Amino acid sequence: MRKNTQNMKFMMLKVALGLALWPVFQQVSFAKEARVNGYFENATYIRDGVGLSKFRNTLQIEAEKSFKSTGSLSNMSVNGTFRVTYDGVYDLNEDDFGNQAGGAISLENTIEGPGSTVIFGEGLALPFTFDTANHPNEGMLVLGEHLHPTDGGVAFGVPVRPCDTDSRGCLNGYLDRDIDELRFQELNDRLDFIRELYFDFDLNLDNGNIISTRLGKQQVIWGRTDLFRVLDVINPVDYSRNNIYDELEDIRIPMWILKTDYRMGATETFDDLNLQLIWNFDRFRPNDLGQCGQPNVILDAGCFFRGMNTLWENGGTVANFAGGVVATDFGPGQIGIRQAEMPSWSLSNTQVGLKFEGVLGDLGFSLNALNYRSQMPSLRGGIPAQNSFTGEVAAWPALIAFDIHFPRVQLLGGSMDYYSQGIDTVFRLEAAHTSGEEFANTLKENLYSESNVLRYVIGVDKNIFIPLLNDSKAFLFSGQIFGQHILDHQREERLLGAAGIPDWEENWTATMLIKGWWMNDRLSPQLIVAHDVRAEATAIAMSVEWIFSDNLKLTGGVNFKLGTGARKFDDCRTCNPFSPFTAAFDEHDEGSTLGLQGFEPLGRFQSGPIGMAQKEDELQFSVRYSF
Amino acid sequence: MKKLILRTKICAAAMSISSLIASPALALDEVIQASFFPYANSKPAFDGLSVGLVIDQSNVAEFKDIIDPAFYSFIEKGWTSITVGDTSSLELHQSYIDASAKGYGNVQLGKETGEIIGWQAGRPFPAEPSNEDARAGEKLAWNYKYGYNWGDSAAISPFYWKYKNMESAKVERTIKFNFHFLNFKGRVIQQPTPEIIPNPSDLFRSIYVQVLAPDDVRNTQLLIHRAADDLKRDNSWLYLGFQRRVRRLATGQVTDAFLGSDLMIEDFEGYNGRISDMNWKYKSTRYMLMPFFNHNDLTLDNETHEDEDGYKVVAFSGKGDCFPNITWQLRKVYEVEAMPVNESHPLSKRVHFMDAQTFTIPRTVSYDRKGTMWKTFTIGQTHPDHHLPANKGSGVSIDDAFSMIDVQANHCTTGQFKGQVDPELSPPSMFSVQHLRATGS
Repeated sequence: MRKNTQNMKFMMLKVALGLALWPVFQQVSFAKEARVNGYFENATYIRDGVGLSKFRNTLQIEAEKSFKSTGSLSNMSVNGTFRVTYDGVYDLNEDDFGNQAGGAISLENTIEGPGSTVIFGEGLALPFTFDTANHPNEGMLVLGEHLHPTDGGVAFGVPVRPCDTDSRGCLNGYLDRDIDELRFQELNDRLDFIRELYFDFDLNLDNGNIISTRLGKQQVIWGRTDLFRVLDVINPVDYSRNNIYDELEDIRIPMWILKTDYRMGATETFDDLNLQLIWNFDRFRPNDLGQCGQPNVILDAGCFFRGMNTLWENGGTVANFAGGVVATDFGPGQIGIRQAEMPSWSLSNTQVGLKFEGVLGDLGFSLNALNYRSQMPSLRGGIPAQNSFTGEVAAWPALIAFDIHFPRVQLLGGSMDYYSQGIDTVFRLEAAHTSGEEFANTLKENLYSESNVLRYVIGVDKNIFIPLLNDSKAFLFSGQIFGQHILDHQREERLLGAAGIPDWEENWTATMLIKGWWMNDRLSPQLIVAHDVRAEATAIAMSVEWIFSDNLKLTGGVNFKLGTGARKFDDCRTCNPFSPFTAAFDEHDEGSTLGLQGFEPLGRFQSGPIGMAQKEDELQFSVRYSF
Repeated sequence: MKKLILRTKICAAAMSISSLIASPALALDEVIQASFFPYANSKPAFDGLSVGLVIDQSNVAEFKDIIDPAFYSFIEKGWTSITVGDTSSLELHQSYIDASAKGYGNVQLGKETGEIIGWQAGRPFPAEPSNEDARAGEKLAWNYKYGYNWGDSAAISPFYWKYKNMESAKVERTIKFNFHFLNFKGRVIQQPTPEIIPNPSDLFRSIYVQVLAPDDVRNTQLLIHRAADDLKRDNSWLYLGFQRRVRRLATGQVTDAFLGSDLMIEDFEGYNGRISDMNWKYKSTRYMLMPFFNHNDLTLDNETHEDEDGYKVVAFSGKGDCFPNITWQLRKVYEVEAMPVNESHPLSKRVHFMDAQTFTIPRTVSYDRKGTMWKTFTIGQTHPDHHLPANKGSGVSIDDAFSMIDVQANHCTTGQFKGQVDPELSPPSMFSVQHLRATGS
């Protein structure tokens, strides 16, 4: 009921804004120009060891209508972008991604020898255990099995079928799509088929300055870097579409935003000055990390969440848990993820940003400030849960029982670009400091901690002629280094290994893009290499784009990974939440980890998105017909 | 203006006397008259040449002396023909002529190529070039750079570029643009003159380009800031529709093919680089057939564009549909060679045929490093009084059609213009980085 009231308020706000704009529409109701165009695209991907991983068919229509200037208003237009997709992979490869995906599983039980397993539901039963009648051994995978063996670590079953077929682990309001929502991803209750719909207008002031406004569902892009999102964090991103590899324009999730620029133009000192206000008044949306059972589940996080929610709701068998070697059957309400706290709409839940931007000759710069909600989930422990041994319900220290939250984050940052004429090279720099972000932390009683974070990207762009290969068109070389420093990082060496924040305290990812053009720019091969330094993981994406005509474009490519995949970290099996039952020895403090290591669940933060996708090498083809 | 014409006509009639008197004021008038009104007394003529004559494979040899070597070879091969039109005086705007007169004698070259001293507005070196002057070619290059060109501001909206296979005549790609130009300095008509203030980076000119079609490059925008200091490189920004971001560009690679066309960025408008990037050599003053015509008298393209004004663009025909269907006039031309300073430049030289009256560059022939002809560029010029009604009296030689032919690749890029001399279409706010962001979608 509370949610409904808030949603109603939000809808009323949108209606009020629409009514506010109506007089403007009336004044400018005489059309100037209209444009409608669109495209149909088929993207077919084949994944090594899997087969068909994408058969996505997209129809996108873009429409724009301009209006003649009137009074002090000019540059008025209404723009709409509408997108509908059908991904046939859920029908054509339903054994991997559809209603027939998954199956019966067994969990590792090392006590009977390395690699030994027990059938799901036949582990060591705790006093308060679960019943397979409520949680049958079907339609599941073992968490992480596509990437690594359990190898003495922790693992559990993860349902992978669409949520209308199997509702286990489907968090209400977060990663809970049914088969049609997977097939037709834009046809949902957030009306994602309206990809963008906004009204532009300029108000020309007497002093020559201009107030430019864009109001509606839109993407707002900050920053100067490719691929990485240091300042470009206003819109959440849909990683389920193609992990990190699609153009951000296609995977940003548009939001209802008011964007207003006070354009001062040239001044005595600056070539251009601008002050921008952003008000994201849409109901919060997180990044779409991919639902377990989809082909792209970045960091495999969606599977971890679904498996954990299944554990909470139904209980389940956890590999190598008791004593670190015995597959153990937990009852419901003991461990796992209880719920996702999705922020509802309220004025205080909206997001606000300011950008001051300018050009000073060869130098461009911006200063940015944003108060927003983290689009990445944070798992906060300390929720009331049942003691598996006594049945008592309480908040247990360092118990792996969580709610998902999306904390408030304050961002201060800036960017600059500089053209060095002497070496004919453009340098780009973007940096942001955030406070309020939360990280998993096995040293803390609630298993998370807050940290300030510094992120930056340094980019270099240079066009270089290589006459032997092409004497009429230079090649683009674009390199970037992305750095992340977790300023309040915490890690300790415990009896059995390192514990604390699994993310690297300092890490860098380097990218290089080399792109060439032939046949009057109609044939364009490119190579993108991305290397995660600490994860020691590399992604290589090679593609060739052929523009057959103004209407038809074909693209073929391969995406493969090299280096280390899964990594191990403290999995909190030795956190001793239910002391003395879970204590490893008499002096083992309650809620204190010993640092026993496994691939799941926290190793993913060390592997990063490239390392976690090591088994997702793909051949990728797409055909786009524009009209 | 009329007074000046009247006075200069009187002076021209008494040429022999004036040359004896040689007072500075009279010399100024003579120079201005000769520079801006070369056809005031008589039109050029050539044996056998007459209005309406079609020069084709059968008779081109008779006119070899008045056709540039590249175009001569095209006609000789039967790829195209030339229809001769009446030579018309294309008189630039009086304000530009007045500014040229005002600056005459105050402008001089600096020590290094690319340096100029004392220029405010107008044609910097209106005097006839001399073979005795080692820097005559450089002065002509400055006259082009500071030419009246599109006036203080203008727009080509729309502007169609077609990439064509010359063998098959297949149109491989059609790109529809809007181009906008704005002079920050040297302004002579539109307020403010002579400079837009504030101008913190001391810009001379800015160019804004927006791609309207096809879909894969739609909403690509390019902004170029050209400093008054010729030794400085341009600052450029590119907005890519699929990235929705403004990227600053490295502008050193001006020999890069622009958006896959047969034009280098350096080729725009005839020459789009720095004066200092070339060694300039004045070769001769000639009378040649040049692509000048009256747009409204042509048989136009019925397919590519038609709007509510009824405006149509110039049609193309000939081999590969690479040649504009226009008429050509016998006109006074300065032949100037430009040889790149940078030895790794893909060209060994360009030969520019500059129109003496307008200082546009309607014909250019480019040669590769081996000295073999590579590309030839035609920019058809229409008289503004025979184009859009709004352009009448603007005194701008309107670029109306172009053809860049890569003779080695048998490929061409053609351009069809709707040039509009209207300051409302190109306000200063358009030439800012923020405009790219505000317009981008």
